[in-house]
Amino acid sequence: MSDFRPTFRPALGAKTAITSAEVKLSALPEGAIVQVLAPPGEQDVASFLSGLGKGGVRTFSPGQWLIVGDEPMTQEDMKTLFETLEPRATGVDQSAGRARIRIDGKQAGRVLSKGTALDLSADAFPVGRSATTLIGHIAAHITRIDSDSFELIVLRGFAESLWDDLTRMSAEYR
Amino acid sequence: MTSYRLATGGLIDRQTPLSFSFDGKRMLGFEGDSLASALLANGQLLVGRSFKYHRPRGILTAGTAEPNALMTIGQGGRTEPNTRATMQELYQGLEARSQSRWPSLEFDVGALNSLFSPFLGAGFYYKTFMWPAAFWEKIYEPFIRKAAGLGKASYEADPDSYDKCWAHCDLLVIGSGPAGLAAALSAGRSGARVVLVDEHSAAGGSLLSETATIGGASASQFVAETVAELASLSNVQILTRTTAFGWYDGNVFGAVERVQKHVLDPLPAVPVERLWRVVSKRAILASGAEERPLVFGGNDIPGVMMATAMRTYLNRYGVAPGKHVAIFTTNDSGYALARDLESAGVNLVAVIDGRPDAGFRYSGRARVIKGAYVSDAHGRKALSSISVWKNGSVETLKADALAMSGGFSPIIHLACHRGAKPVWSDEQAGFLAPTGLNGFELAGAVNTNSGIAACLADGAARGAACVEALGFTASVATFATVEGDIVAPPAKPIWKIPGIKGKAFVDYQNDVHRKDLALAVREGYGHVELAKRYTTNGMATDQGKLSNVNAIGLLAEARGVSPAEIGTTTFRPFYTPVSFGALAGGHFGHHFQPVRESPLHDWAKKQSAVFIDTGLWYRSSWFPRNSETNWRESVDREVLNVRANAGLCDVSTLGKIEVCGNDAAEFLNRVYSNGFLKLPIGKARYGLMLREDGFIYDDGTTSRLEEHRFFMTTTTAYAAGVMTHLEFCAQALWPDLDVRLASVTDQWAQMSVAGPKSRRILQPIVDDDISNAAFPFLAAKEVSLFGGQLQGRLFRISFSGELAYELAVPAGYGESVADAIMEAGNPHGIQPYGVEALSVLRVEKGHVTHSEINGTVIPADLGFEKMVSQTKPDFIGKAMLNREGLTAEDRPRLVGVVPLDPKASFRTGSHILAKDAAATLENDQGYVTSIAYSPHVGSTIGLALVRHGPERHGEEVVVWNGLCGEFTAARLCNPVFVDPQNEKLHV
Amino acid sequence: MASLVPCPHCGARPKEEFTVKGAAQVRPAPDTDKKSWVDYVYLRENPRGRYEEFWHHTSGCRRWLVVIRDTATHEIESSCDAAFAGQTDART
Ligand SMILES: [Zn+2]
Repeated sequence: MSDFRPTFRPALGAKTAITSAEVKLSALPEGAIVQVLAPPGEQDVASFLSGLGKGGVRTFSPGQWLIVGDEPMTQEDMKTLFETLEPRATGVDQSAGRARIRIDGKQAGRVLSKGTALDLSADAFPVGRSATTLIGHIAAHITRIDSDSFELIVLRGFAESLWDDLTRMSAEYR
Repeated sequence: MTSYRLATGGLIDRQTPLSFSFDGKRMLGFEGDSLASALLANGQLLVGRSFKYHRPRGILTAGTAEPNALMTIGQGGRTEPNTRATMQELYQGLEARSQSRWPSLEFDVGALNSLFSPFLGAGFYYKTFMWPAAFWEKIYEPFIRKAAGLGKASYEADPDSYDKCWAHCDLLVIGSGPAGLAAALSAGRSGARVVLVDEHSAAGGSLLSETATIGGASASQFVAETVAELASLSNVQILTRTTAFGWYDGNVFGAVERVQKHVLDPLPAVPVERLWRVVSKRAILASGAEERPLVFGGNDIPGVMMATAMRTYLNRYGVAPGKHVAIFTTNDSGYALARDLESAGVNLVAVIDGRPDAGFRYSGRARVIKGAYVSDAHGRKALSSISVWKNGSVETLKADALAMSGGFSPIIHLACHRGAKPVWSDEQAGFLAPTGLNGFELAGAVNTNSGIAACLADGAARGAACVEALGFTASVATFATVEGDIVAPPAKPIWKIPGIKGKAFVDYQNDVHRKDLALAVREGYGHVELAKRYTTNGMATDQGKLSNVNAIGLLAEARGVSPAEIGTTTFRPFYTPVSFGALAGGHFGHHFQPVRESPLHDWAKKQSAVFIDTGLWYRSSWFPRNSETNWRESVDREVLNVRANAGLCDVSTLGKIEVCGNDAAEFLNRVYSNGFLKLPIGKARYGLMLREDGFIYDDGTTSRLEEHRFFMTTTTAYAAGVMTHLEFCAQALWPDLDVRLASVTDQWAQMSVAGPKSRRILQPIVDDDISNAAFPFLAAKEVSLFGGQLQGRLFRISFSGELAYELAVPAGYGESVADAIMEAGNPHGIQPYGVEALSVLRVEKGHVTHSEINGTVIPADLGFEKMVSQTKPDFIGKAMLNREGLTAEDRPRLVGVVPLDPKASFRTGSHILAKDAAATLENDQGYVTSIAYSPHVGSTIGLALVRHGPERHGEEVVVWNGLCGEFTAARLCNPVFVDPQNEKLHV
Repeated sequence: MASLVPCPHCGARPKEEFTVKGAAQVRPAPDTDKKSWVDYVYLRENPRGRYEEFWHHTSGCRRWLVVIRDTATHEIESSCDAAFAGQTDART
């Protein structure tokens, strides 16, 4: 069946961005997400990962990072990346396992504060900072990517529910 | 009609009249009114009936402690019973209805209850419960139900939305009276993050009811200027209409903001209430003090009111309480009201001061009677006169309004929410907050200050101190001189007033009067916690805000001890009632809980799946075809088709975990009871995971993809639990092992392709050779699909007992690949099958699930003895597996069971009896764990755990369902009903 | 309603993000006598006061922690990553 063309279906493909002056909700492209896991005690992994230039590097958990990019990685590129990581760290492909949502605007922080107990003030959670937390009933990884912009990374199976929740949570600012 | 609106004065907007109704009567109020002030302005003294005796009741307070003026507001789904009229802002079109009355407020049949009052006294509920049950059901309960009458909830759905929100700050200030405003100002100016909450519609607290001036400006003007400055600071957030209702661990405060409870038609996108959880480094309680009622006869007659409340209605709302007003006080604060009444031109009949030696020099015209008490108030639906008792003689004064002030109790509830007990102070004549509250300070009247100047100074100092402790540089805010400030030093409380003739109420809402408390003491319920339950004092929706201290005082007096010895009952959240809507927030309806959708969800929908909730997942249960009318037809067809041709089942919900790291194999060897060290690359192995107590926890297959990369699958139900368990093992038990765990459940869409034709269907899709020789049973590897267009993972494993594969592809391609398989399988008769068919197939094959692995089962019970390694030095569960009991010979073990009559059936959970044995517990041989109708066998089949089961194949038994009284003749058999030699797996 | 648990990796988080397992006991060596194993699996102290427990930051960093809290006051004395529970400087 080499004439068959498998088609890709993004988790939030059916969602159109919600835009207003105060808050904007959009699904980010399903590019590449690589979970990087280092053995205990491995030093300077973050800077090593940044140096690879394969995408944005997010802290995920002690000894774990995510490499995030808007463009999908080919199987070969992924394999090469995994080889480059060894022996300092192991890569696990999560490109399809997680969906990314972006929320921007003056009220973005207030919308998220309806769900998370994280202190999202600019001092406590500056640009570049990441954390995994509950947003309502759903665990999600939050990164502040700009003063009024956050990237959310969530398990694919929960993506639609989180989107629906965020839609509800932002309704009063639209 | 005695109370009325004054021609001038108050903070109301007389240019904006508001029309509202009370019990259908149209009335007018003004913007800035509360419902209570508007009712008083309309001369509506009678606003409700009491709970037990249905006595006429009027507005007693101007705030949150109101026990009488509870009303039902709104219509339909927005009906809100038990709304305190004192806290409800007036709006155009508001509809209020009184409660606890039938047929009408003016004429109430329940008032006859008063005649039964000896029968309804304290301990009524206690005593009634002790009487014969038949009496309770037939007589007392119907009587109580009819008599009791708080508002009724609506049966209609609430159309409004609610929300929850977190906030973070350096300092939370609760209350925006003089102390709170000053604290917020000191702290806010330092740059600290400050949240100021106040439960009223506007900030200012008692200042809004003041006639004193600050630096020549009116108190309300001072409030406006201070609030304007606070609002201009970006680090300060002011939340009005927000009640802080609880103090929780970690200095988290709960608060509820009534965002749109003051409008007729709330904006649909905006919540009507918002539940705040405020994480604060420090907090200041500036909640003020509650004035205590005085316990004299008829102290509940409409027209009797708290003195500070009367002052609020007068000064803030421009409402006079009556034409002939008397004041009964035990402290100097009563004179502030006297002064304000007289300057507003209201006739003040007298100030009755309980202190013979009262030193306050009142300069007004009114008569001051010292060392006297109001012993009784008179009137039915409105006050007409009062009896003034002095040295044994009684004088009657005509009065249509009476203010009372029995001193002040600091509002310390929140400070006691984390378990610390209040402390009685003789000097302050009240219960004070315990000291040494971590991160929580008191300021102002709650901290025993009296007067505006003292509260401003205390608040400013504490606000500054709190933020300085956090490292901010703060200076204490200072204020201009206060003119007309009345400082009321604490007065000796008067619990027991002499000469009382009528009913003297302590707890208005629950109709507890002073004799009830005396009775409680006499009958042995004098302990404060017992007296509360015996008399129900403090158990109403107001939680005894006005009554508790008086009740304690009366108990103390009856027992001849100090209130210190009585102590208080326990303060717990919530400070005031919080709606379920606010507590639920947005989590209702579609948002009640998240839904997890498989990447094949839409594929299954296209195949007309019927879905079933499995935890948060939606799984395909079966796929009905046009002519099929019941689920069994569909499931039987799906099962037979898998055995004859092939089927496709979505197994994406299985837990999937990548286990990596240099010690991954060693790690798996320790978490599974069987060996994993020598699992070759490219092979899958079925594994049993035990709990530390030796019982089976979960099962699944784990495949070795690379030397240091394994791919584990778990059951759907235990996916999260297994991941957490593995993390515990890796982090807490064996941190020295290099093992790295990644959950990849959502990464892969996983499809089981099962049936004799599965290879023929898959081979054109998979580029690699999947012949039996190249890809035998339990092979596992990464494969290329569609001529290299896609990479997936292929496993040759089987739950059905047929030749079968599981193919995993990246989730985003799942639907497309499933479509391709269906297309490729169409000529071979492929059909989708759901979890029902999956379950039938596995029962037919004798495969276990959590129906069998139910927490009481060890590997040997299921015939898995060989999966317990005897050579490994350690694995989870090893040590406990050799206990007596777990090695006993007669443990229930897995066996198949079939009815003798193929048309007969039995149910899961039924017990097994030997053929002619009586149905007794002693004769119990085991129980049925799973059943299915097997189209392959042609009857119901079951799996069961039965004593000596494997040795009893062929024995006739009885399946006994004790719940339904069913007995089914059956035969024990091999639990593998299909291909017991496993030949199909290896073709 | 809400209370905060300090995670050494994530800071203070609401308890809803955590799963508690119970007493932070040391797993006996595999060849330890049966009584020690029975104690480990079944017996708990249930003190009124200081208690060391395993908590999992399930909806956060997914690390297992040893949290020392007071069962009477709910006050949390310290928390540290379970992997470093033996090391004194690991406590926050
Ligand atoms: Zn954490």
